[in-house]
Amino acid sequence: MIQQEVINNLNILLEWTLFSIALQRVLRKMGGEKTWMAYVPGLRYLALSERLDMAKDGVVCAVLDVLSVLSVLLNLTVAFNVESRLALAVSLAELVVVIALYVYRIRFFLALIRAFDMKKRWIILWLIAEWLALMIIGFSKKYQPVAAGKIHEDWEAGTAPAEIPGVRSPGGRVMSNTGLSVDLRERTVKELFEKRYLLKDIALDIPNGSLVLLLGGSGAGKTTFVNALIGYEKADATVLLNGADVYKDYDRMKYRIGFVPQQNLIRGNDTVQHTVTDAAELRLPAEMPNAVRDEKVGEVMDLLGLTAGADGLVCKKSGGQLRRISIAMELVTDPELFVLDEPDSGLDGVIAREIFTKLRGIADEGKIVIVITHGRLAFYGSPQEARDFFGKDTMEGIVMSVNRREEGGEGLADECIERYANMTAEKEGVRA
Amino acid sequence: MNENIKHKGRIGQTFIYLGKLLRMFVYQSDWKVLPMGAIIASVVTFVVGANLFITQEGTLMGAFALVCVCIWNGFFNSIQVVCRERGIVKREHRSGMHVSSYIMAQMIYQFMLCLAQTVITLVICNLSGVKFPQQGIITASGMFDLGITLLLITFAADMMALMVSSIVRTTTTAMTVMPFLLIFQLVFSGGFFQLAGFAKKITVLTISRWGLDSLCAVGRYNELKMVTLWNTIFKFKDIEFEGTKPLLDVILQIQEQGKVDDILYWSGTYNTRDAFVSTAENVLKNWGAIALLTFIFIVVAIIALKLIDRDKR
Repeated sequence: MIQQEVINNLNILLEWTLFSIALQRVLRKMGGEKTWMAYVPGLRYLALSERLDMAKDGVVCAVLDVLSVLSVLLNLTVAFNVESRLALAVSLAELVVVIALYVYRIRFFLALIRAFDMKKRWIILWLIAEWLALMIIGFSKKYQPVAAGKIHEDWEAGTAPAEIPGVRSPGGRVMSNTGLSVDLRERTVKELFEKRYLLKDIALDIPNGSLVLLLGGSGAGKTTFVNALIGYEKADATVLLNGADVYKDYDRMKYRIGFVPQQNLIRGNDTVQHTVTDAAELRLPAEMPNAVRDEKVGEVMDLLGLTAGADGLVCKKSGGQLRRISIAMELVTDPELFVLDEPDSGLDGVIAREIFTKLRGIADEGKIVIVITHGRLAFYGSPQEARDFFGKDTMEGIVMSVNRREEGGEGLADECIERYANMTAEKEGVRA
Repeated sequence: MNENIKHKGRIGQTFIYLGKLLRMFVYQSDWKVLPMGAIIASVVTFVVGANLFITQEGTLMGAFALVCVCIWNGFFNSIQVVCRERGIVKREHRSGMHVSSYIMAQMIYQFMLCLAQTVITLVICNLSGVKFPQQGIITASGMFDLGITLLLITFAADMMALMVSSIVRTTTTAMTVMPFLLIFQLVFSGGFFQLAGFAKKITVLTISRWGLDSLCAVGRYNELKMVTLWNTIFKFKDIEFEGTKPLLDVILQIQEQGKVDDILYWSGTYNTRDAFVSTAENVLKNWGAIALLTFIFIVVAIIALKLIDRDKR
């Protein structure tokens, strides 16, 4: 009996050693330091997660790994009465830990398969002998990580993204007391005790009456920037809206800022009229007479073409109408700063253009309208430079020139993107 | 710009949301919980209603079934109400909505639903011929005491589900958690399944335990007949002993003297439980425990929902 236990424990020790050696090789292949972490329970998954960009899974897995080691040690050192409740509770906890750890390990191995561009069938070997699968990955020259080093190198902890030409450097500058003035030093998150930059060094002044398009691909940080801008997710920044500090006085300022999210977050089973009226009641000053408030609601609904069918249920409305209802819910509160996250997403060109025309009208009333939208950079520069670049006098004209032909535009987007890329390359060449 | 602009306070916002919920009751399928509750109550009273508040065994079984109906109704009323519109709540919270107002509106609205379901359950019981206790313990009417108890149980279960709905982020998670909570409530009710030791201590955390105790107290369980003993003796009536059937003789003698009920009530006195004692003090203690649990669920729901801004996009 004792001999069998010794054999079992030796087996566990051998597997653990082989696994650790293999993991160290894998970590070394993937780059970075501290490969000795492969031998330390908990830390080994932190090291692996860092290389696979799976920070949160890494922390959970590390905790589970430590718990599982502790449970093995507990079993070796404490002789439980098999019928005791404590033994039952410990066994139950062990079972939960083992199952959870197994699931997380599968996640890690699948990530490794992707990182080494291997076939998914490797998971079968992993299920049979985890250490063997790792040994093959670690020691075989055939398998090399697709992208050595960390993913998103530019965003590695402690480094800032490359400087973007044309953006003024922040810090200590005089900020404007009219319009929107932003001096954002950095917006970071901590992952695995490391600082990661989401935004860095953004300074801009936007005068009242402006319609600003914020362009960028998925994951570029547009929404993160806007959330920092309106104070919802605070950054290390100073944001002034007509002289008032958005961060310091957020509870008051949030009523002066309208934010239309990307999704139509509206209750479907209420009427359009009630939806907009309730939004007005919640956000307009309490002492505002009902008649004035109702007039405002009516004006906004007229502006956005929602008056017809106002008594209909929200869920019965089309995509374009839902977008306009969502905009109306914010616009009705008469915000000084109006931010819209991809208001044209999922809409056809005609409706998108109609919405942009409305937004231009809103900006013309002296408000600041910021619109987040997808796309590659077709141009970056001052309004006058934009007019020269696109050969158009108005923002609508510029938008129309890059819109697709089937949407009623001129379909010049690709041409503009290429022309701007060439122009930038030429400038860079001159600078070099 | 006026620096001291005041916006709708918590009470004002509560009424806005209450109005919204009442409108949605009409437009949405929320009203369907009422006929659904009626169907469940009908099925249960059809099965266990005959001996409810007549015999101790029938009362325990029937009270347990009623507790199950109430918990089921309460859970289904609100298990999805917050999580299904979590994105909307987050949007409104960032625009100035008070979480406490939102939850308060949900509470009032859900209370109305629970009240309607309780009335429906009582009507169904009445139609099914359930004999309600004549004399109330807290109020003058036994049926009224019963109604208050059913309402408290349903509302507590409703608030528990609202709490879960405020904590979880998706309806799928909510519907996964719900059966566990339901089973926990049923197993740890403490009255129907025999529990001992630590398992018995856990029962103080369940709505079902206090609800069952309360229903049995209101139903005057300790003063009712016990039929198990008589039925068991009756099963053995044909056993012969030295050419005679002594049990049959005794049974016939008792029946001839018209003392069957006396025997049943007498045997019931040996089957009483302290938790079911029909005093105002005991009933109020049970109601208080359910109210305390309800309060805790509401507080946790508010705290959980206040963290909604931490949701990832």
